[in-house]
Amino acid sequence: MNSTETRLAGSSFSRAAALAVAAAIMLVPANVLPVLSTSNAGRTRTDTILSGVQALWEDGLWPIATIVFVASIVIPVLKLAGLGALLLAASGRRTVTQARRLTRLYAALDFIGRWSMLDVFLVAFLTGVVRFGVLAHAEAEAGIMAFAAAVILTMLATRAFAPAVFWENLVAPGDARA
Amino acid sequence: MLLRFRSALARGLTAAGGLAPSDLGTSSQLPVTSPSAAGLRCPWCAQPHTTVRLRRRQRATCVRCGTVLATRSSGGQATLAHAVTGLLLTPPALLLPFVTVDKLGAERVTRVFTGVPELWDQGMHWLGVWVIVCGSLAPVALLGSLVILFAVKGGQRPWAGERWLRRGTRAVEKWAMPEVYVLAVLVAFTKLGTVVNVKLGPGFWCYAAMTLSFLLAWRSFELDPARAFGEVDESRAGPSS
Repeated sequence: MNSTETRLAGSSFSRAAALAVAAAIMLVPANVLPVLSTSNAGRTRTDTILSGVQALWEDGLWPIATIVFVASIVIPVLKLAGLGALLLAASGRRTVTQARRLTRLYAALDFIGRWSMLDVFLVAFLTGVVRFGVLAHAEAEAGIMAFAAAVILTMLATRAFAPAVFWENLVAPGDARA
Repeated sequence: MLLRFRSALARGLTAAGGLAPSDLGTSSQLPVTSPSAAGLRCPWCAQPHTTVRLRRRQRATCVRCGTVLATRSSGGQATLAHAVTGLLLTPPALLLPFVTVDKLGAERVTRVFTGVPELWDQGMHWLGVWVIVCGSLAPVALLGSLVILFAVKGGQRPWAGERWLRRGTRAVEKWAMPEVYVLAVLVAFTKLGTVVNVKLGPGFWCYAAMTLSFLLAWRSFELDPARAFGEVDESRAGPSS
């Protein structure tokens, strides 16, 4: 949320861009590798993030499926896309209205970022709770590490970027495209 | 994030406008006396501001970007009260049973971070550490530092190490996400409900209440009218318009 100091302290584009690219790269293994394997009464299944959402949906838990889908897939993608848009928009001049819109987008991205950690906590929690030997068992898989790394990198990227840069080169509404 | 935009903000291009007290209540404005008037900048757009005195139910928004900067009811005693409540709820949240799972008669009581040793055993050391940091260490550290900040000298005058502690508090907040953990537990709870018998225990409810206190304390700290701006380090601040 608002951090008086980091908002203003040395906004670094290259750092933000590098972290965002790293996060985008980490999202690939995060979505391809399995994140959780569960066994229940002899049946074992291994889930990626997406297949986990699918399983929830098929069990009829569609509100939960929606929450996990939004937190694990929509938010990371939206956040990286938004961050990319902000980085592209950071150079050049803009009107007050545009600057305000960009600041608002930044605030939104900053707010939604943390919710992506949902899946990490979910896997960690299930691993701890579901331990009934052969009856039922849950185990975290490598994908969740990649996913956690992607989320952390995205959060660091947002933090490396200060919205104050949007307010540096302001023009009057008339010559917005100057 | 509460962002509030008003039509009057269009004149925000002026170099140093006063804070716009948004009219939730009566809207008469008085000039202000604030100890930190010198370094008053919007933390989001770096707009310099003069101060206004907020009346009851009013809140200050940045004249340029419209972000809510302070509310009258935030800060001081309110922050301290929420933070102390959160700290008192922490021991039961961490020690009481979180969920009870029952599979064919084999009952298993879990506490908040029962999963961490399991993750450790599976070789996912960092994941285990990370879950502890985000779910309990960071929130508790934050509540603790808020109590220290507002209990020492009533939060009125700066003291040695205060700046350092404030900076640390802000750094820690980024990674304190008990509210996300609460949602994750509820999702896991629903998912498990289809396979085994699960019950939420008192630990979970204490944790949820601690989370609420945490969020209220942080919001109150951030929108503290006396302190919101005082800590901006001028030498590192970005250029203003």
